[in-house]
Amino acid sequence: MTQAALAMSMTDPIDISADAGLMARIDSACQRVAPLWPLKHFVAVNPFLGFTGQSFAATAATFERVVRTRMLMPRAYYRQALDDGRIDDAALAQALQLYPSTGLDIEALKQKARAEAGPSSPPAVVATVAEVLDRLAEGDRYVSLVAFMIDEISSFCATYFDEGQASWPSPVRKLKPYAAWRKLAAYDRNPEMMGLAGFRRAIAELPADPVQAIGLIVDRLGIPGRAVEDYLVRALFDLGGWSAYARYIGWNAGLDGERDDTLLELLAIRLAWGYALYQARADDVVKAAWAEAMAEAAKLPADQRLEETPELAIDLVLHEAYEIACRSKLVAQLAGHGAQAALTRLPARPPVQAAFCIDVRSEIFRRALETAYPEAETIGFAGFFGFPIEYVPIGHSRGGAQCPVLLKPAFIVCEAVKDADDIEQAEVLGLRLLRRRAAKAWKSFKVSAVSSFSFVETAGLGFAAKIATDSAGVTRPVPSPVIDGLDPEIAARVQPRLAPGELGGRMTGFTDPQRVAMAEAVLKAMSLTGPFARLVLLAGHGSTTVNNPHASGLDCGACGGHTGEANARVAAAVLNDWRVREGLRAKGIDVPADCWFIGALHDTTTDAVTLFDEDDVPATLAPDLARLKARLADAARLARLERSALLGIRDRSNVDEAVIARSRDWSQVRPEWGLAGNTAFIAAPRSFTRGLDLGGRAFLHSYEAARDDGHRTLELIMTAPMVVASWINLQYYGSTVNNSAFGSGNKVLHNIVGQLGVLEGNAGDLRVGLPWQSVHDGSRFIHEPVRLNVFIAAPESAMDEVMQRHPGVRDLVVNGWVMLHSLSDQGAIRRCIRPGEWRAA
Amino acid sequence: MTQLLPCLAALAPLTLAIAAFMGTEAGPRAVAGRAIVAAAIAFGIAAAASLAAAALGAGRTPLLGGHGLGLSLQLDALAAILSVLVSFIGLVVVRYSRNYLDGDPGQVRFTRWLLLTLAAVLMLPISGNVVLLFAAWVATSLSLGKLLLFYETRPAAIRASRKKFVASRLGDAFLATAAVLLYIRFGTLEIAGLAAHARAGEGAGSAIVTIAALLIVATAMLKSAQLPLHGWLIEVMETPTPVSALLHAGIINAGGFLVLRLSDVLLLATPALDVLAVVGGATALFGSLVMLTQTSVKVQLAYSTVAQMGFMLLQCGLGAFSAALLHIVAHSLYKAHAFLSSGSIIDLARASWTPSPGGQPHAARLILALVAVIGLALLTGLAFGMTLRSNPAQIALGSVLLMGLVHLMANAIDERPNAFVVARAAVTAAGVAIVYFALQAGTAWLVGGSIPASRPVDGVVPMLIAAAVVVSFAAVTVFQNQMMRRADAPFWIAAYVHLRNGLYLNTLANRLVLTVWPRNSTSAPSNP
Repeated sequence: MTQAALAMSMTDPIDISADAGLMARIDSACQRVAPLWPLKHFVAVNPFLGFTGQSFAATAATFERVVRTRMLMPRAYYRQALDDGRIDDAALAQALQLYPSTGLDIEALKQKARAEAGPSSPPAVVATVAEVLDRLAEGDRYVSLVAFMIDEISSFCATYFDEGQASWPSPVRKLKPYAAWRKLAAYDRNPEMMGLAGFRRAIAELPADPVQAIGLIVDRLGIPGRAVEDYLVRALFDLGGWSAYARYIGWNAGLDGERDDTLLELLAIRLAWGYALYQARADDVVKAAWAEAMAEAAKLPADQRLEETPELAIDLVLHEAYEIACRSKLVAQLAGHGAQAALTRLPARPPVQAAFCIDVRSEIFRRALETAYPEAETIGFAGFFGFPIEYVPIGHSRGGAQCPVLLKPAFIVCEAVKDADDIEQAEVLGLRLLRRRAAKAWKSFKVSAVSSFSFVETAGLGFAAKIATDSAGVTRPVPSPVIDGLDPEIAARVQPRLAPGELGGRMTGFTDPQRVAMAEAVLKAMSLTGPFARLVLLAGHGSTTVNNPHASGLDCGACGGHTGEANARVAAAVLNDWRVREGLRAKGIDVPADCWFIGALHDTTTDAVTLFDEDDVPATLAPDLARLKARLADAARLARLERSALLGIRDRSNVDEAVIARSRDWSQVRPEWGLAGNTAFIAAPRSFTRGLDLGGRAFLHSYEAARDDGHRTLELIMTAPMVVASWINLQYYGSTVNNSAFGSGNKVLHNIVGQLGVLEGNAGDLRVGLPWQSVHDGSRFIHEPVRLNVFIAAPESAMDEVMQRHPGVRDLVVNGWVMLHSLSDQGAIRRCIRPGEWRAA
Repeated sequence: MTQLLPCLAALAPLTLAIAAFMGTEAGPRAVAGRAIVAAAIAFGIAAAASLAAAALGAGRTPLLGGHGLGLSLQLDALAAILSVLVSFIGLVVVRYSRNYLDGDPGQVRFTRWLLLTLAAVLMLPISGNVVLLFAAWVATSLSLGKLLLFYETRPAAIRASRKKFVASRLGDAFLATAAVLLYIRFGTLEIAGLAAHARAGEGAGSAIVTIAALLIVATAMLKSAQLPLHGWLIEVMETPTPVSALLHAGIINAGGFLVLRLSDVLLLATPALDVLAVVGGATALFGSLVMLTQTSVKVQLAYSTVAQMGFMLLQCGLGAFSAALLHIVAHSLYKAHAFLSSGSIIDLARASWTPSPGGQPHAARLILALVAVIGLALLTGLAFGMTLRSNPAQIALGSVLLMGLVHLMANAIDERPNAFVVARAAVTAAGVAIVYFALQAGTAWLVGGSIPASRPVDGVVPMLIAAAVVVSFAAVTVFQNQMMRRADAPFWIAAYVHLRNGLYLNTLANRLVLTVWPRNSTSAPSNP
């Protein structure tokens, strides 16, 4: 194309309506991408977030036809389940009813299951330039252009989004991504070295505005109108990891009510690459092949039609059957327990109420605690205990958002040293700042171009001892970021400060009315309005692992990928405040004077429970406290014993040491199983499940419909914890069914990039989701790919109403992303097909 | 008695090889457990033999063979230090791999090749004859190749291993040719014999020896990933982390070992040392500048290795052989830890908050400091009779240390200097300098008997090299402190882009490899 032609197209008056149409398509394509949180606070995300508006089956088809990605297990997996008898004929029959269009009976389906899936998946609905070039280049000497393009864009993104890994940061980071990339591309000879002639010129000739560039490229490549959005979606998913990270940046901006175009800009970069490839290689053969591909794209019908892909339909039926079989076991277990539920009698005022996060790992511990301490009552609630806070460590000016990622922190809480006067606080702060500056200078000495040689010769030998102690698990490879720069004695004394204050012009802490309001809201949401035990434990959770890039992913998701310590301590402190107690009494919640709340942290790796601020517990409760601590220790042992089987610890006599050793082992790729195995979400009184072994696979939310005025709490549960649980569930689902697309691959190859994510190996796209090691133990999948089964003990009509008010929740249920069930006092379980339609399960 | 010590040391690789060939019916965890025991025994043996050699003196076995060709073992200070180093790293890496590869279907295969690789590497330092040394050299490369292609379907792994294959076979050919030439000239390949001839001044300046020396130097540069064939090292992150740790800590420095082992011969042909110094110095600067621009931890570490190996070979080229050995050992330990703990970067990043708004010291202050420190050093040197002409190595390497200290000081006094901060920075810098000189002196004393103390200063070339080192390293120091973060002028953007791409050398190498080995697969499953 000549310069003149391009110049003309850019000066042409822009057709407003066409432009609006393009903008809508771009927006719609960008909405398909699910965000990816950075590793510093890695939280689970539903990889199908952009597709919940359509059904599970239609999404499977979309993924297959548009992005050529599978979202079901390989057929052999279902065949194995059939052979093992885990899928029975009843399940197959039920599944077939869901897909009458397949026209199969059970025998025919079984026969299909025996056969391997068809030789090749159908072509994508729209091809990409790089793909067509690769196809033409088969057997010749060119490197895969798809792979090269992804490496190049990924390398740019890494420099652009780098959080501090490179000492020499990208000089164009202040520009917006597309402009920054174009600026660097003007100097970058790498594509041309790879044989892509005229690459720099092709980029320079593109419009400076990303939307105009996209429009021009779509036009020049001749992408048929029908396929434009599909083409954009494909382009984004080619670069799924960085797209997801860009979407995260947009997500955060969205919480602040701002629009952010990072993802759109990335899309422009990706399209520009494809366009420059086309320019560089557009000989007659390529042009002909491309024209043919576009003609195909114009013809293909809408992709949601399953008949187009009969093999996929068979796998979908098999998958449904697999889930039905799993679900019926769960339903039978819950229904069977319903009758016994009434038998478990607790004292009217239990000695201890212990609240844990709804996390599936709490289920094991709660059961263990109930065994060790049968009089105790346990409660399940989102581990941020209703306090959405930004927790600012000593010396910092900003902190992490310790709340579910659907929310924005409402309060800022600063870390402070307990019982320290202003002088000591200032000393601690000064010392930490000084140490930080010294550490920075030393690090600069270590990684700078010239001084790194002197560093090695002076400090290198010292690493012999460090390797030995790290290897033995005596020391951590690097200090824990939480206590770095604090003396151990000081670190033991830090706690959240509730008193109102100010930090960098922002208000911190809580005023009295705020405290009362928060306390009331939390207690009501927990269905905990009396009677109150003498001791009420509020246990957040966190994990203890070393040398684990995905460590924060094992922490509390409800605390935004942080440990729940600060939230639990804040909640306990607020609820112990006598002025708050007075305020609560005025609102009809009477917390007796001999009731004390204790913040705690459940370490999910070791099952140790640490209690905080024990000194503040009134002396009269000392015996209760001592008993509780002993019972918690017993429960920890029971929980470890139960978990040891899945962890592959064979020596039964040594379980405690073996579990704890894992938390200190720098070579351990499976320190704990996290939320693997999660399959159910149950919002009901604990009596519905107490005594039932749910195997650490259920999110348990305490909920009593009778105490729920106007079903406000129900609405909260269905819009927040249930949604978060489904995000987690679908993250595990994706990482299990197709780890190379929805997971982060093999942990032994992980290479942390930009201090925010991982690559697998030396290059390629940023990886999303969970490592293979988090769902598979080497011989089998520990996680079962089953969509979340939600059971709520509430009136069906109330749930219908919530769904009608919240289309997002309705979509999840109706489109089959979660299986919503109602649970009655008598143990009857009915499944919601759509609002107003419930069928016996 | 001392004849037996090398035999004792040879039991270490033997133990590892036996463990590698034992049956695997017991399952991966048992195999991994046995490997740890074998590695621990090997470390124990190597340590015991080395301590004994330190107490009783270096030992050498008689030659098994004739005409100066065959098998013989030796255990001198160089061999003892490297045996202990490699067997220690080996033990740590084998132990690490047990849990790290747990559940990987290839764990048994991995463990066996890991043990064999270690065994081959451990044979290198105790080889007393170039024939055995060559065999260990090739065996190391071949067994390492198996580990680098552990996930044999990953396209990038295949590409990297092909590049390495080319570099390694080229190196093998060079080394074999050098051996033949040396045999023709000296009639023996016993390393001690060669050294004795060389120390007697035989063959100095002869063309055949010079060619042999150049080939040896080229072999070392290929092994230690020097310009322009460094690309394979950057791309071998396609294999589990412990392999990277072993490679970067135990194997990559074999090039330096070769130079040290044959240093007496190389001293006969100083042009070879000059080449080594120039290529090594250039690689050191190249690697460390590219390192600054890299964003992924493992690639950054790989460029750091390229740079450190370049610096080590620069030291060899300047004749600072004991300093090079210290560099090998210290770098190995540092890099092994850096790779094994590379998953901790997020913890580091979480702890790496900026305590106050960043600032930079004034440009003039840094340059003044630089000039003052170097000028002072030169004056001090002059006082002790050291000039650029008489002691180019000391001047060059000393300047590099001083520039490092300047950088440390400049960063420590960064933003809000007060007396306490300045004083502490000065104390740190002084501490670093004291440790540096103590370690240098200690190493020189330790290996005094087995490697030469220095090279003769002949002609103007060493002086020019030393001057070039001082000037170029100083330029980089100034650049890094003053300009890097404000470099948005077109010239600096261009420099950034070119350096981030490693000056495109790797892309060109990839294209070359693709020309030789066409390939059409575009993607491969990543899961084991």
